[in-house]
Amino acid sequence: MTEMTELALELVAIDKSFGGVHALRGADLAARPGEILGLCGENGAGKSTILKILSGVYPATSYGGTVKVRGEARRFMTTRDAEHAGIAIVHQELMLVPELSVAANLVLGRENRAKKAFGGLLGLVDDDAIEASARQLLAKFGVERDIDPSAPVGILGIGLQQVVEIVRALSQDAKILILDEPTAALTGKETDRLMEWLRGLRDAGTTCIYVSHRMDEIFTICDRITVLRDGKTVGTVDAKTTSPDDVVAMMVGRTIGGKDARAIELAGDGDGKKPSAPVLELRDLSVRLPGIAIEAVDGGDDRIRAYAVEKVSLAIQPGEVVAVCGAMGSGRTALLSTIFGCAEHGYTGSIRIGGREVTLKSPRDAIAEGVALIPEDRKGRGLVLGMSVGNNLTLPPARSMVARMLEWVGFVDDEQEELLAQKRIDELRIRGTSAVEVATLSGGNQQKVVIGKWLEGAPNVLLLDEPTRGVDVGAREEIYGLLAELAKSGTAVLLASSDLPEVLRLAHRILVLRHGKVVAELDGRTATQEMIVTIATGASDVGTEAA
Amino acid sequence: MTTTPATATPSAPNPAKMGLREIASARSLRTIFVLLAMWTVLAVHPESRESFMTAGNFSNLTAQVSEIVIIGVGMTLVILIGGIDLSVGAGMAVAGVIAAKLQIDFHQPAWVAVLAAVAVCGTLGAWHGFLVTRFGIPPFIVTLSGFLSYRGAGLVLSDARGLSPMGEDFQKLGERLPRSISLALCAAGLVVGVALVLRRASRRKRLGLPTDGALLAGLKLGAIVLATAFCAVIYQDGVPVPVVIAAIAAAAGAIVLRRTRLGRYAFAIGGNAEAARLSGVPVARVTMSIYIAIGVLTALAGMVAAARTNGVTPGNMGITRELHVITAVVIGGTSLTGGRGTMLGTLIGALIFGTLSNGMNLMSVNSNWQLIVTGQILLGASLLDALSSKKR
Repeated sequence: MTEMTELALELVAIDKSFGGVHALRGADLAARPGEILGLCGENGAGKSTILKILSGVYPATSYGGTVKVRGEARRFMTTRDAEHAGIAIVHQELMLVPELSVAANLVLGRENRAKKAFGGLLGLVDDDAIEASARQLLAKFGVERDIDPSAPVGILGIGLQQVVEIVRALSQDAKILILDEPTAALTGKETDRLMEWLRGLRDAGTTCIYVSHRMDEIFTICDRITVLRDGKTVGTVDAKTTSPDDVVAMMVGRTIGGKDARAIELAGDGDGKKPSAPVLELRDLSVRLPGIAIEAVDGGDDRIRAYAVEKVSLAIQPGEVVAVCGAMGSGRTALLSTIFGCAEHGYTGSIRIGGREVTLKSPRDAIAEGVALIPEDRKGRGLVLGMSVGNNLTLPPARSMVARMLEWVGFVDDEQEELLAQKRIDELRIRGTSAVEVATLSGGNQQKVVIGKWLEGAPNVLLLDEPTRGVDVGAREEIYGLLAELAKSGTAVLLASSDLPEVLRLAHRILVLRHGKVVAELDGRTATQEMIVTIATGASDVGTEAA
Repeated sequence: MTTTPATATPSAPNPAKMGLREIASARSLRTIFVLLAMWTVLAVHPESRESFMTAGNFSNLTAQVSEIVIIGVGMTLVILIGGIDLSVGAGMAVAGVIAAKLQIDFHQPAWVAVLAAVAVCGTLGAWHGFLVTRFGIPPFIVTLSGFLSYRGAGLVLSDARGLSPMGEDFQKLGERLPRSISLALCAAGLVVGVALVLRRASRRKRLGLPTDGALLAGLKLGAIVLATAFCAVIYQDGVPVPVVIAAIAAAAGAIVLRRTRLGRYAFAIGGNAEAARLSGVPVARVTMSIYIAIGVLTALAGMVAAARTNGVTPGNMGITRELHVITAVVIGGTSLTGGRGTMLGTLIGALIFGTLSNGMNLMSVNSNWQLIVTGQILLGASLLDALSSKKR
């Protein structure tokens, strides 16, 4: 930093909490005009929170700290405020209206902005003019032959939809352009064009903030890289003088604690361990991604994925905890859902439970085999929020055949149910009574209810998806203790988590997923956070202890 | 699982500690107060005081709302799981036409006619459930189609002519039971009600669960005694059979809702269908069962209506009934978004609805104004709910 030019964008000491979770604790960021700044961090480090603050999704009253645009402090209350300040964003999730045409999507919300003609005042839309400008924009990106501006966006493949999303953001002549994992669904060719366009914009003075977990891209396109960890800015480095390994080290931190504080010892770890029959065994399990037709996978380009989970094989012994790690969208959640019978379009390969091949077409099939799932989205998929704690705890049907047959004629014994619920509440130390609505409990206690409903007759296989997200430290320890008890009683545990210290503490073995495939298997005792992140991000393809 | 003993700290409303204020703010009690307030007004108002507070009028009022209660039991379940059934009015007409044709043209006994009507409407319900669960067609559309076509089917089957008279056995469905049996039924209701409350209290005590406080228990017993005494008085000349059918339907509905897996599952589906599915609730089967149930109940309501008027006019029978039933269910506090509702609420809602039209008739309010008032009451009930749920 030789001369102090005015910064295009500056975040100073941003602090943001969601209920009990402190997502950002004093994060800083500074971007100069005409540069591409990479933003890196593990899942949960606070990247998306920062993006939502910059785009005005979280109003200025909901966080602490200062947002400065070209030296001037700004308080965005809505997404429009951010847009007016010259900030455009390409979201990771598609924000297109599938029924509207490509052209209409490109100008959505900005129709006739330049034209204050009579028709514009009346709210009339000049379709032809819009289509003409859409054609120009698409031509600028070199996709005018692939995308028909008058066709509905919904008929395009995911990759081309992402292109439309990018073109829309780029076409706003924004001074600051933010891209959140923009290449997730792009082909190599499209990615190259994007990079080219971004370089052009940078040279014309636009500031770009590029969020990605792909180290190769970050180092191809970015001038500097800011690294976040646990809601704080660890530092900003020059991309030319730094190696991907250094950035990974910054992302996970130098200190690796908790190796000796392992929560779960493998049953029979000490006495010359003898492998028993696996409780859960997967052979070549594959699940197709929805919505990607075979045609979309064009000649030999391996960047488009057709599978959410591809040829995963895995065996878990009784009492063993296996963790699956990987970046967002690497197939962790899809893998767990499939084992719980939730794969909408089915799966190929085989699933064996207790040595027997099973067909899992619905959660009821899985539950009958003794499989339990603690889903990632506690409120949306784990709990019936309006029902009482007791009714949530006793919701799953009994697993015995007789009880299942009696399900329709049998009355509920309210009193016995309440006793059972009370037993769980005591065991799990849930702060609340059986009669209160589960919505009134804290996150940690809600999560205990989600786990508690599977404890009547210990499950054979327990699937956990981010089991301690949004859970305070005390409840987290209690949940770890509970998992240890379950494992000791012979339950096979499959854990998907982006909380690496948690993974290292609980897991006997760690599978790293990338693009739906298992790329490495690590021993829980010797693995480190760096190893996992390096493999998961593809920062380096050497040095993995492949199984 | 954890080694330390239980230290759960109860922080939520404990029934044993509920004071008068908590009890009074309960949703179903609020509706009861509204009903009692309406009755008080009608009892003192100069235009209605002589005719309203008579046994005969109350007996009529309850007989008039029995159709709404019978279907309302099914509608409560349907709305509870986030659905709706607009076809019930037209379904009543189909049931009535089938029962009337079988008796008049084919000289079948009443029980054959009733069974046939129940079977047809139950099948229609199953068809609705199938379309909703298998193809994901919104229940509004599925039953809107029924609303149109079943009315038409009733007219086609009957050549658009009124059918009467019904068989003699059948007409008994619309008449009154003898006085002695009525009183015996009231006494039986009293004994069963008190016994259930006491049994539950003693069982909870034995199992070490929190019990109702003395105040709440006393109020419950008092309410049962008062209600039976009231029934004994208004049905002194015999209880109308439609009322008995409605009472049985409401009791069965309350048991299903509160004491069976089906009821529990219905709450779960309406509250969060995805969480219910992931907890192993057989969502499709529950939905199907509930649509069959409302079909069967619709047929029963059709039987009651046909018996009361001793005939069927397919163009008019049950017309706008679906809206009356939905109104009663919503006034009773069942949430149209699903997951919340009670049978008692629906019963009270139906009585409020019946009292409105009965009272306005007695006060000779013209029927155009009756529509306006009923509509505004519905809006008021929902507004009240919206405001109180916002506060929580």
